[in-house]
Amino acid sequence: MTDETQPRTDGGTATALPGDSHDDGSHLPPRWSIKRWLITTNHKDVGILYIVTAMFFLVFGGMLALLIRAQMWAPRAPGEGILSAMAYNQAVSLHGLIMVFWFLSPIATGFGNYIVPLQIGAEDLAFPRLNALSYWLYLASGLMVFASFFQGSTFAGGWTLYAPLNIPAFMPSIGATTTVFAIVTFCASVTVGGVNFITTIHRMRAPGLTMRSLPLFTWSWLLTVWMMLLAFAALLAACMILLSDRLLGTTYFAMTTDGGSVLWTHLFWFFGHPEVYIVFFPALGAMAEIFQTFSGNRIVGRKWFIVSMVLVALQSFIVWMHHMFLTSINLEVKTLFMATTIGISLPFDLMVFALIYTLIKGRIRWDTPMLYAFGALVLFIVGGITGVFLGAVVLDYEFRGTYWVVAHFHYVMVSGATALIGALFYWFPKITGKTYNEFLGKVSFAVFFTGFNLLYFPMFLAWGTPRRVFAYRPEYLVWHRIASVGAVILGISFLLIIYNLTKSLISGDDAAANPWPYSTTAEWAVSSPPPLENFPGTPSYASGALEFLGSDDDGSGAAAATDGGHATEHEEVHVDHASVWPFVTGVFSFVTVIGLSGLQVGSYPAGLEGLFYQATSVVGVVGLISAISAMGYENFTAHEGGFGETWPFGGVENTKMGMWVFLASDVVLFGAFIGASIFLRVAYGWTNWHPVPHNPIPGLVNTYLLLSSSFSVILALVAAKKHSRKGIVASLVITFVLGLGFLVNKGIEWLELFHEGVWLDSGVRASTYFLTTGLHMGHVIAGLLITAYLIWRAWNGAYSEGSGETLEYFGLYWHFVDIVWLFLFPLFYIV
Amino acid sequence: MARTKLYTGIYVALFVIATMQVGIEQIGLLEESYVLALALITAFSVIKAVIVAGYFQHLVWEPRSLTYVMMLGFVGFLALTVAASYSIQ
Repeated sequence: MTDETQPRTDGGTATALPGDSHDDGSHLPPRWSIKRWLITTNHKDVGILYIVTAMFFLVFGGMLALLIRAQMWAPRAPGEGILSAMAYNQAVSLHGLIMVFWFLSPIATGFGNYIVPLQIGAEDLAFPRLNALSYWLYLASGLMVFASFFQGSTFAGGWTLYAPLNIPAFMPSIGATTTVFAIVTFCASVTVGGVNFITTIHRMRAPGLTMRSLPLFTWSWLLTVWMMLLAFAALLAACMILLSDRLLGTTYFAMTTDGGSVLWTHLFWFFGHPEVYIVFFPALGAMAEIFQTFSGNRIVGRKWFIVSMVLVALQSFIVWMHHMFLTSINLEVKTLFMATTIGISLPFDLMVFALIYTLIKGRIRWDTPMLYAFGALVLFIVGGITGVFLGAVVLDYEFRGTYWVVAHFHYVMVSGATALIGALFYWFPKITGKTYNEFLGKVSFAVFFTGFNLLYFPMFLAWGTPRRVFAYRPEYLVWHRIASVGAVILGISFLLIIYNLTKSLISGDDAAANPWPYSTTAEWAVSSPPPLENFPGTPSYASGALEFLGSDDDGSGAAAATDGGHATEHEEVHVDHASVWPFVTGVFSFVTVIGLSGLQVGSYPAGLEGLFYQATSVVGVVGLISAISAMGYENFTAHEGGFGETWPFGGVENTKMGMWVFLASDVVLFGAFIGASIFLRVAYGWTNWHPVPHNPIPGLVNTYLLLSSSFSVILALVAAKKHSRKGIVASLVITFVLGLGFLVNKGIEWLELFHEGVWLDSGVRASTYFLTTGLHMGHVIAGLLITAYLIWRAWNGAYSEGSGETLEYFGLYWHFVDIVWLFLFPLFYIV
Repeated sequence: MARTKLYTGIYVALFVIATMQVGIEQIGLLEESYVLALALITAFSVIKAVIVAGYFQHLVWEPRSLTYVMMLGFVGFLALTVAASYSIQ
């Protein structure tokens, strides 16, 4: 046990408590100003935005759930009840999508934003504007979902968006397209956020805060964002392909395409199973923190707990086919994935026992956060055990597509939500500086836990009910009635939670810096809420205890760096916390998507409606490009990492690391496109499939062009090191010309094929060729736009004074585009 | 300066390997022994990619952890493609 007045951090003991500091700085308007929330890039503000927005989507998704339960009050025939058949399909689909994408992950992102930098001793994230951009893209994607309800109908094919139900032949509404666009935008938000958090946690830890001593919530969040980065790239690929089928008429998922529908399930579940852990890990991390604080005991087997989380994160990518036991995949692979699925339960067993034993060894205080965290563990155990049934092939044949699955995954996913509600109570005093009403908190838990089990447990008993339909056998009536009553009770508990927190925010007592005895992480060592720059000095664990060093002895070098804009002087630390461009980018993302959603199989609707969509597309695209350009050109200085612990990325600057991490996700994106082509070719018959272009020579010429352009980028870097302005400009101009040559050559090749009558919809061979090489062309075009910008900057003297970091970072991207072509060329032109 | 020579040598090598890939198709090896030709063409692509990543992207001079980051993505691609393709055999 520790001294209750002396907060201990996971990495040492906090020996310095700062005085209250609520300096909002001169960069930002005050908190009551709406303008502040539109322009802020500070991680704590962005965290609050995420949490509040996620709660809003919780209410939205919850209302859809209540509609579902109202329809299930009695077995219905189509046309009976409060929802039409199609309205019910929409409610079921969007309830799942909203809860998974727009509530569960984002609320965890809110805690990640607010808490993780505090826990690791960073003053902000590595790329604050990208952090704000991530939020605004998230909000824009959520608003797209809203808008989709008003565009004919939203997506109505289930949250898994299975093919071929997802193609225009079966789901023709514009709203369905907007829903898919919303997911794509959400994926972009997640990727931007993932790059940011990975760079931050690896590069911006306080001195002495090694990976081994990272707080468990930060560990869980680090693994979450790694999983997000790779898994969401696969979903992004899947949804981009689906959009291509819907907007341009490619035939990946058409009924006539061999393997098309199975391809969707592979791509979706390659994302989908890691998504379970993406949702659950932050909850697990929060649970671990709460258990430690409220039992007064360090988690038992801490090292093995972390090892288990790492194992689960890795294993999560090799279990996806257990969601596909009822598809046409072969028995051998089913058996293999049954084994890997059983394998992933083992590290979870270890973590569950570690949590239980931590409580057994400690003295538990049953405050509201602990009640929710403990409740989450109980519910997760039920969810985990009932999931084992679904991992077994033979049992899965029986249970798949029934309410057993519905009950199981709600026990898993909503147990995660339960822990996150615990986290909300736990960190509420830190975030708001106010204490909540403890009695009302406990009452809300009692109502929540009762409602939860009344809602979901009867679904196990009524397991024979088929999923996604509102007709069921009369003997299940009582269980569905109980479930519907439970849904109302659960809904009331959320109202109690929201009332409690809102009332406390307005009129609660002020919270101390550390309201929880035995809390063990650094956020409790600063005031509630923390000051804008987080710490009264540079945090350091170098002595084994958390200390705040003054500017004279911090050894940080007062490092600051630009956040993608162009460089400013580094002599004096003057970091920025405001930029309007992430918000503007989010706005125009929304406008662009609304415009493009009107495109259907290559054409816009006729008349005024079509004109509206075309005009909106143009306005959106022009605005989007302008906003991104303005953000690129804006002066913005952010904190640089590298002053503390940086393993295993020591010596790699933040921007370079961010670029590499982004490229890793791009590997998965392109990998999924190439993998989809290979998969469809295998389904088609490998040797029956011939390249679409008749002649490999134009492809070879393009290979020469891209290789040469890569070489000229290298020469630009060499020229920068020689401080030769002319050399830089000349090399970049050559790169631009060669890239343009690549596009012209490709354009000629495409025009020739169009002239011959080969279009995107001319079968799956043509679809894969046009779309995959088209995605690559998109990357080339983006690269050329950046090259043009670099030429302009180089002409004005940039890059010739330093060592050419910007050119190097651009080169990483351009060489990657080259590498991708080195695989596309043989695949689509030779073999 | 030595680096410039190295980069130039690599550039020439990449040019030659790309030409050899098409050469395999032009001499009719794909018709004679498809599997061998496919293996050779794939191997050449991998060699080119490794060279570009290693030298043009400077991975050989960077901390190894960056290579592992990229490998993580590549292994993900391989797992998805191989397992998915096998699943419908």
